[in-house]
Amino acid sequence: MLATAQRQITEALSIVARDGAVRAGRGLSGLMGQEIVIHVPNVRLGTKSDACDAVGGEEQVVLGAYLSMAGDISGHVMLLFPERRAFECVDLMCGQPIGTTVEADELALSAIGELANIVGSAFVNALGDYAHLVLHPTPPVLLNDMAIALVESVYAEVMAQAGDVLMIDTIFEDHSGETAGLLIVAPDPECISLLARQAA
Amino acid sequence: MSTLVTDQRRVSVGIGQIAVSTDPTEVLVAYGLGSCVGVTFYDPGTRSGGMVHVLLPDSEGRVSDGKEPARYADWGVAALLAELTRRGASRASLVIKVAGGAAVLGPANAEKFKIGARNAEAIKEQLKRLGLRVTAEDLGGTKGRTMELHMAAGRTYVRTAASSPTEL
Repeated sequence: MLATAQRQITEALSIVARDGAVRAGRGLSGLMGQEIVIHVPNVRLGTKSDACDAVGGEEQVVLGAYLSMAGDISGHVMLLFPERRAFECVDLMCGQPIGTTVEADELALSAIGELANIVGSAFVNALGDYAHLVLHPTPPVLLNDMAIALVESVYAEVMAQAGDVLMIDTIFEDHSGETAGLLIVAPDPECISLLARQAA
Repeated sequence: MSTLVTDQRRVSVGIGQIAVSTDPTEVLVAYGLGSCVGVTFYDPGTRSGGMVHVLLPDSEGRVSDGKEPARYADWGVAALLAELTRRGASRASLVIKVAGGAAVLGPANAEKFKIGARNAEAIKEQLKRLGLRVTAEDLGGTKGRTMELHMAAGRTYVRTAASSPTEL
């Protein structure tokens, strides 16, 4: 019974994630002046450790940004990249050869913040449309820390320690190449039950 | 000072977990404490020590099911003290170090939830309630920390993603 409900929620969120990816791709393409396509090949529920493993391990230093959802329901959205992947993303966004960016300088952090803003907001808006809710993403907070420190802090705040987090593998692609990140979404329990009703 | 000694065995103390040791080759480690707080106890007399990795400040009367015996500050501190004294450690001699309680998701979020600050406060309150005094602490800020208790000498080290280990 529980497994069925979880599958239904994951399927519903897969629809939301795909819609969010299309919207985010459109927004990024407009910003960059070139076509950026975003794929979301995997949407899955996982533990704190799974989320950290997806970006290279608990102590892996990651770059990314955090947004919270406000409005009819609340929740947390985090886009994380292992540092090397983040630098690749900055290069894609700046239209320069992969390997040009080698440190988390002001330009890199600014680009990642903007990227997270577009991707996170697109996901939140897609979720709001799917569930017929008014949702507002907050401005992104830049993150540059150990993966587990960021993931566990989200868990602590949603009181969802016993549950799983939604992980969306996110591939960013332009004409010259691709790179990957991880979008973590932790809606509050009210949202989960609402999505379960929508998905049923 | 380097903490990388090849014959040491690293024991990961995950979120909500407790670990105790008398093995001088072991290093107890809480990786990436964000808003969580790590607490180490070490008794030089018996060379026994332990660590808890606390997630939240208050159990509010919940009873532990044993899966995360240190999920809350009130569970974790009491459980660590009980386990060490049961093994013969002297509570009067305990060297107690506390680290973590950061606001890694930004100041606005920290202001809203205050989990890190509340965790730190709750740990200190629990220690005080049990008549225990903090020897050293590294709390607050905006960066995650990894905390290690080296059983060989009972020393505790803290490092961040950007800094090398420093003895606490």
